Amino acid sequence: MRDVIIIGAGGGGPVVAKELAAKGLDVLLLEAGPRHADPREQWTSFENDANNPLSGYFRLGPEDRSRPAWFREWSQNSFVWQLSGVGGTTQHFYGNYPRAYPGVFNDYDKPDRAEYDVNHRFPFSYGEMVPYFEWVEATAPVMTAAMGAKEQTFFRGCETLGLPVQTTKTTLGPSYRPQENAVLQPGGNAGRTTDRNLLTYPQATGCTHCGYCFQGCMRPIGAPRNQFAKRSTDNSYVPMALTADAWASGGRPVELIADAYVTRIHAESRGGALTATGVTWRENESGAEHREQAKVVVMAGGCTENPRLWFNSGLPNPNDWVGRGYTDHFFDWVVGSMDDYTGNPKGVGSAARLDFPPYGGLENVGLPPALNAFATTLSDSGIRGQYTNGRGATGPWDGPAGRVIGPEFKELISGGLDRLLSVLVITDDDVEPDNRVTLSALPADENGPIPKVTFRQRNRTARTNRNREFMARKAAELLRGAGAKKVYRIDWAPLILHVQSSMRMGESERNSVLDTNAEARAVKRLFIADNSALANALGGPNPTLTTQALATRTAEKIFQRYFGGDPWVREESPVVSTDSRISTRLGELGL
Amino acid sequence: MNSKPPLARRAFLARIGLLGAAVGAGGLLPRSALAAVPAAEGDPLSGVVGLLRPVLAELSRDTLNGLTVFVVPGKDRYSAAQGTPSDTPGALEAEGTDFLMNALDNFVPFPDQLAKPIGAALATGLADTGVELPGLDLLPVQLGTLDKALRALLENDATLPLSLPIASTLNLLATQVNPLAVNGPFLSPFARLSYAEKARVFQLLEGPDSDLVALLDVHFPEPLKHSVSGLLKFLGGALIEFATFGAYTEYAVFDERTKQLTGRPVGWQLTGYQPDGPVEGWDDFIGYYQGRTEVHD
Repeated sequence: MRDVIIIGAGGGGPVVAKELAAKGLDVLLLEAGPRHADPREQWTSFENDANNPLSGYFRLGPEDRSRPAWFREWSQNSFVWQLSGVGGTTQHFYGNYPRAYPGVFNDYDKPDRAEYDVNHRFPFSYGEMVPYFEWVEATAPVMTAAMGAKEQTFFRGCETLGLPVQTTKTTLGPSYRPQENAVLQPGGNAGRTTDRNLLTYPQATGCTHCGYCFQGCMRPIGAPRNQFAKRSTDNSYVPMALTADAWASGGRPVELIADAYVTRIHAESRGGALTATGVTWRENESGAEHREQAKVVVMAGGCTENPRLWFNSGLPNPNDWVGRGYTDHFFDWVVGSMDDYTGNPKGVGSAARLDFPPYGGLENVGLPPALNAFATTLSDSGIRGQYTNGRGATGPWDGPAGRVIGPEFKELISGGLDRLLSVLVITDDDVEPDNRVTLSALPADENGPIPKVTFRQRNRTARTNRNREFMARKAAELLRGAGAKKVYRIDWAPLILHVQSSMRMGESERNSVLDTNAEARAVKRLFIADNSALANALGGPNPTLTTQALATRTAEKIFQRYFGGDPWVREESPVVSTDSRISTRLGELGL
Repeated sequence: MNSKPPLARRAFLARIGLLGAAVGAGGLLPRSALAAVPAAEGDPLSGVVGLLRPVLAELSRDTLNGLTVFVVPGKDRYSAAQGTPSDTPGALEAEGTDFLMNALDNFVPFPDQLAKPIGAALATGLADTGVELPGLDLLPVQLGTLDKALRALLENDATLPLSLPIASTLNLLATQVNPLAVNGPFLSPFARLSYAEKARVFQLLEGPDSDLVALLDVHFPEPLKHSVSGLLKFLGGALIEFATFGAYTEYAVFDERTKQLTGRPVGWQLTGYQPDGPVEGWDDFIGYYQGRTEVHD
């Protein structure tokens, strides 16, 4: 009998694992995909090798890349970018850790209060969340981003918009700033040379500005795993979980089993309440099944996989909200073509942002060639100059929105990627019940019926559409201000990243799966600790920090409710994930 | 078996490109291969099915060549034919067609579970009306053999690759956009289209009320019905995105054994990416905006 079994070692699961391991609990962390324990052997930083959805090392699939990826049904023009593996989607994220806007919590009382998704607020206050934000910010650690050429260009555009610079952690109103990100800042030779021989640890520390965030971070060369620049959880929380005895008094290392797919959560009636008792998982390689009991089960498999596992386990769904409210940030993409050098594919993927509560935000994003090409050809507006697919909006960009392909795209990039500045539009997207995960009618795979993601991409709420149009126009203005000679709006089809809320916590039991402690309303001792637990789209900020802060809070709730312990975030000081005790123990363990 | 297919079947076979690819001018099969098969019951069809498989593979490749150069034109004859010749390399030099075929054909669980019903729907369901086809003088018995062989292959072949029904769909739409595309250079109708005509094909495929989607849907039972139409909607977008992504990656020049590049990727040539090859870092660090290295509430 374990104390806690955690399903999924992505952005959220390792947070609960690390926190409870520090308290001495017996924690088993199961991950469906591979553990990339030696990135220098397993990764290359090439785009197809990394990001091919079928065969890349960052695909959704088992460890053995000669075996098929896991097929998921998306029955519309969309792209769901799922990843398996220890670190989950944080393996390819850009390390951005902005806080959720205060307006999405239930105590917000400013004049624009009604302009947020008021039907789907967090069931507690922003003030209650702040200590958890601070705890994660110290652990990751979160820092103010360094500036490269593309950030400088982005800021030049921001300076023309008449907005102030944000100099606080909390976003209080429309403003722009360097990202608060979980990327170790460049030290020594890092960011100052292209000479490979000078970029080895410890002569170089932190971010070397290599530009490979999307293909995974394994730099600087020779650094201990917990000192890799980008703080994906495989570099931050997982190393802490595996070494909890080295840095926490009374800590107990987590057992991590990768390439192990959980196929069922077991539950039984206890004292009249359905109660989780353990899980069954399957080794991908051998097909061998294992069943293990636990006092508490935590789901953290992601917004698509959690509902699937719930349905496949036959757990109750009394209000029909399991899998509903599958929410993204209705991204769009606005690209400027410049005469000047922008350094687009260099540096951290995205190190500058503009926030505009309650509409959403903008980020500069540097892209390598294939991802850049993908970004400019995923659209719901047809092919520019040929057809509009019933959309093709016009505005302060040039011509109609739509795919830039063929000769036009070749011309656009003929001056080089580093003459482009790309701005990602992040929309505060309302939680909508009809965007959801169900089980697919297509054939099951070895782990059971597969999930189907339904997205009514053209039927979002009026507020969501208003937010997106507003932010797309701001992006075009920003690019003009930065000196863009030509501006393209893509009108992205749903590119489902930053996905949230498919197992949401909420104020009302009518439209939420989780109570205010992130415990399932229908199944006791079953908690959810990843993006799917989030109450809403946060106003637009990237979800990782809020997910991890909430997961930290959830770990406390678990410890208090089922293990008789006391909460610690307000009482103790966090250990930073780069702590040398962790590095030392990783070395002793050969990790 | 009825040895005489209706005129609609001939049109259908022509429109998916098979008639031309098999026995048209420059076709890959001798007509005698079809004529030699008696119309009677029995096994002899299997010989034709065997002959047909490589023809269909070539037809798929030719069709997808027409697609990938639509997305990234280059110095090749397909790009010239669509009216967008280029001085710089494109998708074919980047092996974009191989990338796309590989992606489609390994898009599990497609080969067995979905491609077959889609293929069957294509083979049995789509009669044509109102499209005038240039003459293709094939004897009814030959046509019947070809038709039956295609049905046998689509309905029974457990290894049917998804690229085939995709190519068939593109060709079907190509002849809707331009009926003259049933004949001409290249094996496939889609590859014979101009750039604007190819865009029109995607407009038809992608449109929210696509006739083709509706037509295919009626051949599936619930609950698969909407999965198949949804899949086609997804593919309307994904074909272009996958082709683009592939053409701009290092796919063609990556040595899996050494994990090194054997040449400079086309996508890197076109975008000026990493002029001296892969790096460990850049001298890109300028400083901190307004000199601020930390913030507090």
